[in-house]
Amino acid sequence: MYSEQELVTTLRRRDPDAFTFLFESYSDKVYRLAAGLLEDDMEAEGVVQESFLRLFERLDRFEGRAKISTWLYRVAYNAAMDRLRQRRPTMMLDFAADDDDIPAPVILADWRDVPERLLTEAEIKAELDKAITALPEKHKAVFILREIEGLSTQETADITGISISAAKVRLHRARLFLRERLAESLAQHA
Amino acid sequence: MTCEELLQYLSDYIDQNLDEELTAAAQEHLATCHNCRVVLDTTQQTISLFREQGKRTIPTLRRQRLFDQLQDAFLQAEADC
Ligand SMILES: [Zn+2]
Repeated sequence: MYSEQELVTTLRRRDPDAFTFLFESYSDKVYRLAAGLLEDDMEAEGVVQESFLRLFERLDRFEGRAKISTWLYRVAYNAAMDRLRQRRPTMMLDFAADDDDIPAPVILADWRDVPERLLTEAEIKAELDKAITALPEKHKAVFILREIEGLSTQETADITGISISAAKVRLHRARLFLRERLAESLAQHA
Repeated sequence: MTCEELLQYLSDYIDQNLDEELTAAAQEHLATCHNCRVVLDTTQQTISLFREQGKRTIPTLRRQRLFDQLQDAFLQAEADC
């Protein structure tokens, strides 16, 4: 285990163990964010590679104002969003404004026991994938960082370059959106 | 508290970010409003399903290749100095 400062110092010395620690600690995290946003494993790996290479370039100037994990996530987030913009330049990535009204829940059946009772692991996973694919990227990023990576609202805001209140609103929208999507597909079994 | 207000505070309620007064008002509403109770319960279920399923990792073979490539780049930078 390394403290943040030790890790930066040993990485600057090009210590192989420090590299192994860095890779083992952060590669999967960065990958999950990129894969979630891009929905493409190869592109997500490209983002991991790009983010780590960028960090190596910056090591000597890395000031430790941000944690390494926050820094890597931020670079990966920006790289993934760039790739999305290239992929579909005409598409608006920001079509849902944060101050729009939050849509009222439509499906009010209680489907909580459906996944465990009626679906296999693979079927549950397919439902979750289908639901999250439909989520706007800027909400998806916040949802992944907060719920799947377990980061704080502050870290999530730092990574995505938004305010804390915007991060909260986006998380709220993402949760309700995903709830509604899962309800659509699962409530019919309830 | 109305259903609209409950919906607006739902995430803060789940994350226990509401002050005592609002928490009490939300609980009072949830005790009598079936629809909001279902929305709360299914939202929490949604979150926990994603938390359980979300921890994917880079596929093993490709992870090893990525490790090797990045390690080379990392150690190479030293040779360049
Ligand atoms: Zn209600």
